[in-house]
Amino acid sequence: MKVNVVKIIAALAIFSSGLWMAGLGLAIKDQFFYEASSPVKKISLENVAEEKEDGFHIVALGDSLTRGTGDESGKGYVGYVADELQTKTKQTIRVKNLAIKGQRSAGLVSQLQQIEVQRQIKQADIILMTIGGNDLFQSGEALSNFSLERMNQAKADYLRNLHTIFKTIRHLNPDAVVFYISLYNPFNDLTDAKTTSAVVREWNFQSAEAAANYPNIIAVPTFDLFELNVNDYLYSDKFHPNKEGYKLIGERVASLITFTEGDEKND
Amino acid sequence: MINLVYNEMIKIVRKKRLLIIAAIIAVLVALFTYAQLKRVQSIQEQLGTTDWRAQLQQQIIDTQNRLNSSGLSEEWRKFLQIRLQQQQYYLDHDINPSAPGAPTFMRMFAENSIDLFIPLMVMVIAADLVSSEASGGTIKLLLTRPVKRWKILLSKYIAMILSVSFILLSLGALSYLISGVVFGFSGWTLPLLTGFSVHGEELDTANVHLISQWKYLLMEFGLVWFVSLVVGTLTFMLSVLMRSTAAVMGIMLAALISGAILSTMVSSWESAKYLFMVNLRLTDYVSGMAPPINGMTLGFSMTVLAVWGLAALIISFIVFTKRDVY
Repeated sequence: MKVNVVKIIAALAIFSSGLWMAGLGLAIKDQFFYEASSPVKKISLENVAEEKEDGFHIVALGDSLTRGTGDESGKGYVGYVADELQTKTKQTIRVKNLAIKGQRSAGLVSQLQQIEVQRQIKQADIILMTIGGNDLFQSGEALSNFSLERMNQAKADYLRNLHTIFKTIRHLNPDAVVFYISLYNPFNDLTDAKTTSAVVREWNFQSAEAAANYPNIIAVPTFDLFELNVNDYLYSDKFHPNKEGYKLIGERVASLITFTEGDEKND
Repeated sequence: MINLVYNEMIKIVRKKRLLIIAAIIAVLVALFTYAQLKRVQSIQEQLGTTDWRAQLQQQIIDTQNRLNSSGLSEEWRKFLQIRLQQQQYYLDHDINPSAPGAPTFMRMFAENSIDLFIPLMVMVIAADLVSSEASGGTIKLLLTRPVKRWKILLSKYIAMILSVSFILLSLGALSYLISGVVFGFSGWTLPLLTGFSVHGEELDTANVHLISQWKYLLMEFGLVWFVSLVVGTLTFMLSVLMRSTAAVMGIMLAALISGAILSTMVSSWESAKYLFMVNLRLTDYVSGMAPPINGMTLGFSMTVLAVWGLAALIISFIVFTKRDVY
């Protein structure tokens, strides 16, 4: 009996040696002597756009504010909006947060070229976005080292990008309401608050003007939320909101969203 | 010669090592299957979606966010950057790199065990092939037979190769059968991408092509086999050189573990790439991961491993045939 076991194992071992050797040969052939023939086919939006899960889809775009930097619970205002909406509707809320820390308007323009991002926007029921904070503050340098000329240049570039962003979103998804969350002034209690506030206000005004050119793009103000007691709502980096700050933004955005009769929760 | 090899196979089977190895593999596979299942569930829960494209997109966004934070080590940044580009490539070409199924699990298991787990299992077989005869004194009986010494050693070496092949076969079979119960048994024909090459921080996709998963798996197991043979040969040499099996195991263990540690921190020590233990992750070249040291390629690593293996083989035969046994 022992002998038979040995024979079986030996036979399997010989067989598998051949198999692995063939595998090694295949690997060498494939990795070293592959001749590029037909390139791999790229995805196209038409082929994948139809596959959609049920539920209420929120797509969030933009920078660290949408990402939720500074909120220790990691939710950010997007999370609070989703929580709030979940109490109002029977549908499952599905959040896709595509925001990238430090992203500027130019970065968002190129992100919107990606097919998968386009597919998710196409399927969105509402779109939340913040953009421009990094264009304006340039990681905090522009305001402390103020130059009007540079500021105007940055603003012109930003507004051009913003138009492209809005146009792309509207082209992909004509129906979803876009909530463009505008900027607050994190430097509100510093000595030159007057200058910085004026710059932010002007920036917000121009952004809202841009939004007004497109249907169903709502510019949501946050400037006033942070005007009093700004330090209570800022994270320790004195730039991003903290949990309380994000809650304020979330509540404001959620209050703007209503559901159609049939989807409402009756409790 | 066949009889000699057969004799050695009987010795290996009688020692029940193969059975123990199979049992270890089965336990580990079960563990990893459970871990993987938990991971899939938590990702689904976290992202609130079962759509693989949305999941992959979210991973890409997460990586981009991580890349934007400060305090990343150079190696880690490079690793993330390469993986990011690769994930984007998969997404852009509508191919799911981790479609659920037993073959996908097999692939991941083989990729993750190539540099430590499988070499350890090989070591268990190869470490005492010769040294146990020396410490047990049976070597004298063996050598008094009218058979040339090199033939005896060759028969042991062939038995080692056969055992290595058998270990890999049981690894493949067990990981397929056990994980299949949870993830399903299908997925052999799913497409995957290979042919990525890494230049600095850029991922070169000029030679990327589609390949079915079964072919991909066969390739990876071929490479795992190659690595196992080299590790087996090195252990075999130590087993010839030393009488104590424990010493053989200790040295091999130290080498393998140092390799696993070194490959995460050697990017600035260029000449470390000639050490065999940082070259073990051959499957990373097939899947397109960044190598531990700039400029390492599949060809380079296979050559380094082959040189080490051949040198070990030559040393074993010279020492074994020349040595005085008393």
